[in-house]
Amino acid sequence: MAHNYVVTAQHPTTVNVCDTGNFTSPTDLNLIIARNTRIEILSVSPEGLRSIREFSINGSIEVMKLFRPAGAEKDRLFIVTRRHNAMILEVESNGEGTNNFDIVTRAYGDVRDKIGKKSETGTLAVIDPESRVIGLRLYDSLFKVIPLEKDQAELKAFNIRIEELQIYDIQFLHGVSQPTIVLLHQDVHGRHVKTHELSLKEKEFVKVAWKQDNVEREASMLIPVPEPHGGVIIIGAESITYHNGTMYHAIAPANLQESSVVAFARVDPNGSRYLLGDMAGHLFMLLLEKEDKMDGTSQVKDLKLELLGETTIAETMTYLDNGYVYIGSRLGDSQLVRLNAEADSAGSYVTVVDTFTNLGPILDMVVVDLERQGQGQLVTCSGGFKEGSLRIIRNGIGIHELASIDLPGIKGMWPLKVGQEKDNTLVLSFVEQTRVLTLTGEEVEETEIAGFVADQQTFYTGNTEHGQIVQVTPGSVRLVCPSSKELVDSWTPPGGKLISVCGCNSSQLLAASGSILFYLEIQNGKLVLAGDTTLEHEVACIDLTPLEDGDTTIRTSVASLGLWTDISVRLVKLPSLEEITREYLGGEIIPRSILMAKFEGTNYLLCALGDGSLFYFIVTSSGTLTDKKKVTLGTQPTVLRKFRTGSVSNVFACSDRPTVIYSSNQKLVFSNVNLKEVKHMCPLNSEAYKDSLALATDTTVTIGTIDEIQKLHIRSVPLGESPRRIAYQEETSTFGVISCRIDIHSKNGLQPSRPSASTQALSSTTSSSLGSLVRSGQAAGQAECGQEQEVHSLLIIDQHTFEVFHSHQLMQQEYATSILSCKLGDDLTPYYVVGTGFIHPEESEPKTGRIIIFSWADGKLTQVAEKEIKGAAYTSLSFNGKLLASINSTVRLWEWTQEKELRLECSHFNNIIALHMKTSGDFILVGDLVRSMTLLQYKTMEGSFEEIARDYCPNWMSAVEILDDDTFLGAENSSNLFVCQRDSGANTDEERQQMTEVGQIHIGDFVNVFRHGSLVMQNLGDSTIPHTGCVLFGTVGGSIGLVTQLPQDFFEFLNDLQGKLTKVIKSVGRIEHINWRSFSSDKKDEACEGFIDGDIIESFLDLDRASMSEVVTGLQRMDNSGMKVAVSVEDVVKVVEDLTRIH
Amino acid sequence: KCPDQRSRRAAPLNFTSRYSKKSLYPPYGGPDGSKLDRKLIYSRFRPVKSFRAGGDDREENVFTSCAFSGDSQFLFAGTYMGDVKMYNLQSSEETTYQCHDSYVYHVQPSRDSKLVITSSSWRTPYSKLWSVGDFFDEKKQFKDEEYLKFSCLVQDKVVGTQSDGVATIYDLHTGQLSRTLKPTSSNAYTRNRATFDPTDDLILSDGVLWDYRAPKQIHKFDKLNQTLSGVFHPNGLEIISNTEVWDIRTFHLLRTVPQLDQCEIVFNSGGEVIFGTNLEQELEDETKFETAFKTFDASDYSLIATIETRKSVLAVCSSWDDSSLAVVEQGNGECVESVVRMYDVGRLRAEEEDQEDDGEEEDGG
Repeated sequence: MAHNYVVTAQHPTTVNVCDTGNFTSPTDLNLIIARNTRIEILSVSPEGLRSIREFSINGSIEVMKLFRPAGAEKDRLFIVTRRHNAMILEVESNGEGTNNFDIVTRAYGDVRDKIGKKSETGTLAVIDPESRVIGLRLYDSLFKVIPLEKDQAELKAFNIRIEELQIYDIQFLHGVSQPTIVLLHQDVHGRHVKTHELSLKEKEFVKVAWKQDNVEREASMLIPVPEPHGGVIIIGAESITYHNGTMYHAIAPANLQESSVVAFARVDPNGSRYLLGDMAGHLFMLLLEKEDKMDGTSQVKDLKLELLGETTIAETMTYLDNGYVYIGSRLGDSQLVRLNAEADSAGSYVTVVDTFTNLGPILDMVVVDLERQGQGQLVTCSGGFKEGSLRIIRNGIGIHELASIDLPGIKGMWPLKVGQEKDNTLVLSFVEQTRVLTLTGEEVEETEIAGFVADQQTFYTGNTEHGQIVQVTPGSVRLVCPSSKELVDSWTPPGGKLISVCGCNSSQLLAASGSILFYLEIQNGKLVLAGDTTLEHEVACIDLTPLEDGDTTIRTSVASLGLWTDISVRLVKLPSLEEITREYLGGEIIPRSILMAKFEGTNYLLCALGDGSLFYFIVTSSGTLTDKKKVTLGTQPTVLRKFRTGSVSNVFACSDRPTVIYSSNQKLVFSNVNLKEVKHMCPLNSEAYKDSLALATDTTVTIGTIDEIQKLHIRSVPLGESPRRIAYQEETSTFGVISCRIDIHSKNGLQPSRPSASTQALSSTTSSSLGSLVRSGQAAGQAECGQEQEVHSLLIIDQHTFEVFHSHQLMQQEYATSILSCKLGDDLTPYYVVGTGFIHPEESEPKTGRIIIFSWADGKLTQVAEKEIKGAAYTSLSFNGKLLASINSTVRLWEWTQEKELRLECSHFNNIIALHMKTSGDFILVGDLVRSMTLLQYKTMEGSFEEIARDYCPNWMSAVEILDDDTFLGAENSSNLFVCQRDSGANTDEERQQMTEVGQIHIGDFVNVFRHGSLVMQNLGDSTIPHTGCVLFGTVGGSIGLVTQLPQDFFEFLNDLQGKLTKVIKSVGRIEHINWRSFSSDKKDEACEGFIDGDIIESFLDLDRASMSEVVTGLQRMDNSGMKVAVSVEDVVKVVEDLTRIH
Repeated sequence: KCPDQRSRRAAPLNFTSRYSKKSLYPPYGGPDGSKLDRKLIYSRFRPVKSFRAGGDDREENVFTSCAFSGDSQFLFAGTYMGDVKMYNLQSSEETTYQCHDSYVYHVQPSRDSKLVITSSSWRTPYSKLWSVGDFFDEKKQFKDEEYLKFSCLVQDKVVGTQSDGVATIYDLHTGQLSRTLKPTSSNAYTRNRATFDPTDDLILSDGVLWDYRAPKQIHKFDKLNQTLSGVFHPNGLEIISNTEVWDIRTFHLLRTVPQLDQCEIVFNSGGEVIFGTNLEQELEDETKFETAFKTFDASDYSLIATIETRKSVLAVCSSWDDSSLAVVEQGNGECVESVVRMYDVGRLRAEEEDQEDDGEEEDGG
């Protein structure tokens, strides 16, 4: 039995479909975006795009269309998933305001057929313009019809046989009395366009209104034209034709022929303008020119195609309003663009207004710890063609350093406005010393404020409500005039006492001297003692920060304190200093820093202890503390400081593991900062350093800006060509990336189609085609001008700047298939090993290839060795100092000789195509194209491979990974994950040799790569999550997931929780969770087992309290003694919150 | 005619480029990608193992048919003398059951492996139903059914083929005859084999399509050959009768596939691939089988490959997981050595795979 937990760390980012309409209300213009399983609803307004709701459905969205039911005021959303669940969603308002709405499933149904072959050209879906009927082509030769009726709850469909075989596109015609489809199909003679009128009564096609045989051979798309013209536009590779059954117009614009049109959007409701997007990222405008006739009607006279400019490569696009277009991409970032009436200097009519990050398709990735902080980052090969890029994905928040000053021993730091609106002074506190720095532009100069005490440590300083400056030192509280810098007033604790800690805001001050607490009001030019009290223990920390932050005039009526000895936190009323509530933290560690903060409308009290742990509470309106929780942020005393980004307040926890605390979806999120250690921090907003932070370490003050506050941070390194595989070479601080660009055959030979990473590298070399391996140049000779050719290169990229140092171009028709960084044998040189295959387009498989060994040293790439192989090296790995490669159907191991040559040691043959390999110790896991996974063992003594175990179920593999020596993780073609186990202790050879599939789950996305590693800091100690191992995976949809193993009792607990959650959470579209997660492929459909769906577990935190209670009722967990005990909502919240922190 | 230039979007022919495109456009790497993968896989068959009958009578008792058990653990092979031999695929252990008195030309286990149908060519009862546990226990005899086959979607019925184009249907729960479908006039195909369609709604027998539930004759297809009545395509849309492909709903002739002439066809379990074996040809006094079988893409009936074998091919059968193919092969002329040879689907023959290394053990049954 397997006990795995799979969860999404990054939601899918590639856009499958988008649409525009009035979804949330009759007056709202909405953009709806589908990214695999997730739907985002945005509002389109003159201010721009604003996301108003994002939700998941239990399925991968293949079709999503808005439509307007007859007589309705707003649109409904029709969705079909890849597993052929259909649904109609509608927004139902549940109160005032744009965000108060529910998404209601109006109708749903399973439109699968028991038999029938899924069409390889994918699902085609069309909705009749008058919303009478939905048409679907899911299976070859069948047209599925869903009649749309009022108030139907179930989507019932019937099939009509289509005799046309290969159908490329279907649309409904406009302006016809009966629903009529027009389809583009192919037979042995060519491609044809044909219409069929549909009779809902007879459930048949009743007549062919018109047809056009032999349209362009490469015609691929139909665009229906609305009234008054009707008819259809046929998009081909070379021509565009308008046809309405009685007349047609065709044009063959030259600029169409460079690429293929893949997306369109209608601009005008009357259908006179259309946007077309091609695979090269060109955006065109297609105009239908009309001619008015004598009888007042008009007809299409001509077509015109104009190139508007270049955008991202479109997968789907929709015209929003006022010249704005949303372009959804699956190969690169999506864009919001504006169309301009005038061309810019580059001749483009397109301005990119906004870009939306897309990681997908993730082709390969590595986990590296570039900053050596014990936290991994992912570097992915993302996207394709001109949108290809590397993406650096990091959990946590980055600080971008702007300036730094070497100053050791800082004990505190505050910004001041001295005679200006902006911060212009930084006060630094040291042991028995206070120093003042003036910031003039980027210049920093030490200065003095006469009224300040300079030979004492400062506990606090800041601007006051009345325009003065307050300084608190052990000896006194001082009020200083900013213009004269002279002392205006001061206060000294009675009896020669010293202040030990203080809390202060712009108008109030609490100073503690041991266990005595003094409350001072800071008035204009005056400090007034307004109360004092003696507590039973010494005060350890105080906070007086007003909850309603932002406005400096706001005072607080509640102060928070942390005490020594009884280790408690207390809230006291101001000015009476009366205690409101107290909470004992337990343990012996003293509270070091306390802070009240309001996040997303909820008041929190945070209290950090001397050991790096943090308690946090919700402060109720009556002032009591509830929902006590504890997290470990670091191992050293922690200081909490508030700062703001935009209008949102966040808390910075200064410690050996600096953390930013913020709130997202009403949950506190603790996000690492990419700095090793921060002792103190303060916000700084000066002329030169706007919205910055000053951060002090033991030795340095750094001024920098902070990333946008979010959990995962993504940095893009555009390559302009398709990256395929990546390897990291620590010794040379470089990445080796193999990538592919498109060159065009011209009279002067191959020319790159556009500048890209491999053409713009600092230096470059090429593999001579006259090397040891002479290849006939047949392709080059025959190639016609204009023909495209893929050119593969090895790129050497700097790990810090991501600058392309070097590009090594491989031979013509040589495809790079694998890359590896390793050391071989006793040789200490780190090598990049590149595996290739020679591609002849007419061959079914490469017959030859190369393994090339390069070294990168002193800015030079040297080819050290080369080995001809019989096929393409799909994977290469370092294995006990030797080189292991899978080549076509074989697995081979080479030794590295003293002469720096590869010598074949042994081979294994039992595969169709050995695409994937992973190793662990002496074990090699091989993933086959068709035949699932095989485990080999290398026998050192014999110098041979032995096949140890095999999974005999046919699985088309897309990635494999070794979890441990007996457990193996696989991803297959139909977006499922499964786990196989071998039983090395079984009695018979037969049983030992057979892997058993012990776990399986549908994840709905195609996994291209698995890597061991984690995106979060490990070993924080207090996590309640006893998980082992961590495998990250990257998908075509641009999502990143994580698979980890759980102990059995914890797995069972989460399984119970998952079971209860699926009963309480009503999924949008009503696809049952159990059906969604069941393993599903062409060959089998089996229930999910051995996996917990972390996504639904985490959705527990989004529930309201009542639903949480409903879920938790009856839930039990094994305690330490092995007894089953009931758990509380708090227990479950804690467990689930901790689970969210493993990624 | 020059081949058409392939569309920019179409999956590349060469596997390596297709594979790299798959990670951008999964799961096939573009239109026609799965067809190209099928073409790659089903053009390669590597002989890995063969089963020869034990016993003294092996010379005469040659294999005549074969089938995989539903759990893929066993191979059933019918013999000339009426035995069914059961081989453990792992250990190659052989068990023999005397089922008929003569030539067993059809063995069909149920998907749950609990039942097995056998049909033989002469001496009644022609067909029998067995329950399979530790032994073959005869469950029911079908006296006049020359051929018997399970229903498809749910295996709770069997359809039998009698002479003169008559089809009979028995309910397996009750064991009772539930339908007798007698055409108004027989087409007299020499090898009529009545069969259910994939949804168990229709029955084709002797070129006549029946509605099981009604039961009534729906259509009689034109007879364009003498031998084969036809089989249903697993996609449920077509009937393949010798070289003709008919539309089930419109009864239009959709296409003609000359390579299927006089081919007995079986589908792989996924229904994507057709295996064709030529029927024996009566040449003067001896019958002759081809020394090859063919594979077709079931989506467009294009020939994938003709796989040459050393011996004559009498029958083929694809395993449930589609990873192996069992082929009944028989030597010609003097040496009538008979084997059931197992092929790994998709793997190159040893000599093609590698020249540097020694190939694997072949024919090691």
